Amino acid sequence: MFIAGVSACTVGIAHTYMAQQKLEDAAKAAGDDIKIETQGTIGIENALTAEDIERADIIILAVDIKIAGDERFEGKKVVKVSTETAIKSPNKLIAKLHEIAGK
Amino acid sequence: MPELTLNDVLDRSTILTDVHAESKEEVFNILIQRLFDQGYIGSIEEFTEAVHNREKEGATGIGGHIAIPHGRSETVTKNGVAIAILNHEIPWESLDDTGAKIVVLFTVGASGEGSNDHLRLLSLFARKMAKAEVVTALQQATSVDEVIEAFQD
Repeated sequence: MFIAGVSACTVGIAHTYMAQQKLEDAAKAAGDDIKIETQGTIGIENALTAEDIERADIIILAVDIKIAGDERFEGKKVVKVSTETAIKSPNKLIAKLHEIAGK
Repeated sequence: MPELTLNDVLDRSTILTDVHAESKEEVFNILIQRLFDQGYIGSIEEFTEAVHNREKEGATGIGGHIAIPHGRSETVTKNGVAIAILNHEIPWESLDDTGAKIVVLFTVGASGEGSNDHLRLLSLFARKMAKAEVVTALQQATSVDEVIEAFQD
C-alpha cells in the first residue's frame, strides 16, 4: 500500500520531524511505501506531488495545526491524528490505515 | 562553506550530566541559564516564557524517559540544544506516562531569523530522537562524550 501524508506541529521543529520519522519506520516495517511531507518552521519539505496524492491508497495527516494545501486531498480517504499519536503509536496507526483503506 | 553536521548542533558547553533537579522548572532554570551564558538567547525571561507556552500546548515527554521541550522566540540568537542527563527521573507529562531523566531543550529562532541550515539540523536532530537506538544509547549515557556518541551514526 502507498501512504501519503503531512506532519506539522505547533513550534515546527521537533514533533513534526519525529512524527515523519516514526511513520516512515512503521510503514516500512509493515511493508508499505510512504511519503510524508513536513510543514515545519523551515517551510515545506518533501512536498507531495499531484502524482503522489493520486496514487496514494490513503492520506495520513499527523498535524496539530491547520496546514497549507489541504484542498489537495479532496476526494481521498483522509485520516487525521495529532503528532503525539503518530509518535506514540505509529505501528497501531499504520494498522488502522490498512483497515480504513481496506487493503 | 563547509557542510554543517549534527556535531555542529551538539555543543559540549551545553551538555550537562549528573544534574540534580526535583522538578521540570528546576531543569528549565538550569538549562536556560546555561544557554544564556553560552550566548544562545538574549533574555532568560523571554525564552522561559516561550518554553512555558509550548509546555501548555502538549506533552513534550516523548517516552523512554526523554523530554524534548523547546522554545521559539525572537530572543533566540543561536539555534541549538542544551541537554541535561538528570541523576534521577522526575515527573514530566509524556506520551507513555514515564517521567524524564534526559532533557533536550531546543532553541528555535522566530521565523526569518537564523540560518535555515541550522534549523534544518535541528529537524535532523529531532528525527534522530525518534530512533530507538539513539534513545537507548542516551538512556545509558553518563558522560558528555557518551551523549555525543549516542547521536553518531
